[in-house]
Amino acid sequence: MNPEPYLQLNRVIHEKGRLAIMSMLAASPELSFTELRDALAMTDGNLTTHIRALQQEGYVAVAKSFQNRRPLTTCSLTTSGRKAFADYINLLERIVQQNRPK
Amino acid sequence: MESNWAAENLQTIRTLMERSAVYRRALAPLMLFAGTLGVAAAAIGLWFHLDSMRAFGTLWLGTAVVVVAGALLITRRQAFKDQEPFWSPPTRRIAQALLPPLIAGMCLGVVFTGVDLEGGFTVLLALLWVLFYGCGLHAAGFFAPRGVKLLGWSFIACACVLLLAAAFRKSDLNLKAHWLMGFFFGGLHLAYGAYLYLTGTGKNAT
Repeated sequence: MNPEPYLQLNRVIHEKGRLAIMSMLAASPELSFTELRDALAMTDGNLTTHIRALQQEGYVAVAKSFQNRRPLTTCSLTTSGRKAFADYINLLERIVQQNRPK
Repeated sequence: MESNWAAENLQTIRTLMERSAVYRRALAPLMLFAGTLGVAAAAIGLWFHLDSMRAFGTLWLGTAVVVVAGALLITRRQAFKDQEPFWSPPTRRIAQALLPPLIAGMCLGVVFTGVDLEGGFTVLLALLWVLFYGCGLHAAGFFAPRGVKLLGWSFIACACVLLLAAAFRKSDLNLKAHWLMGFFFGGLHLAYGAYLYLTGTGKNAT
């Protein structure tokens, strides 16, 4: 078995919570903080920590605005985030294929 | 072992991506609102004998406009309450799926009402509306909880059966069009709204 693909897995995305956030954002142009929190059943603190980590890597962009005088935080994947996510999925598929019984 | 783990991860990603595209705001208030107005409009139509095509069309087109405006207001209020954008991608997809059959149905209604046809055409118009609305619900069901697609199929199946029955009997179904409208646009909406409340899916689904 070739261990190389495992070593190439993006550790930032690979964490369960961050992978869930990236997956949700990959299927939608943008999602609000509350939509992500409710859909993933995360606490505010947990979600903030993960989003901050993804933001620091340049994978997620956070925009703050006001809607009806209430703050609205929306998140979206950046171009490099989209590419990193696509690479991560390709790698997972390679792992599955590599270990498929012949 | 690792392969299983990778495959499970891929499956999780697929599920989350699908969930991201699904409309998650509470549907129960919308259904109950539409159902209540549907029943009220049917009662008004029957009570005041609004049986001519012009009166029938005006009543139900007016009701449709009020329901659409009310539904938008309810959705907007839900979005503000949950601190979410009103015109979110799932809302946009639902609107895009619903719009073509709704516009087609409205256009048909305006034509029928304008021409003011006599003799059983109100029943035909009611069944065509049910059919168009069913198609809209079914299309919207791809971006909404599963029950919406089933509700769409119910509308389509009932409309087809009744239209075929009318065609083979070569006459109208001898039904009051207001009863049909009240049952489909009032009763079925109320039933689905009550089901959502009772099963707990009336709250925002996640």
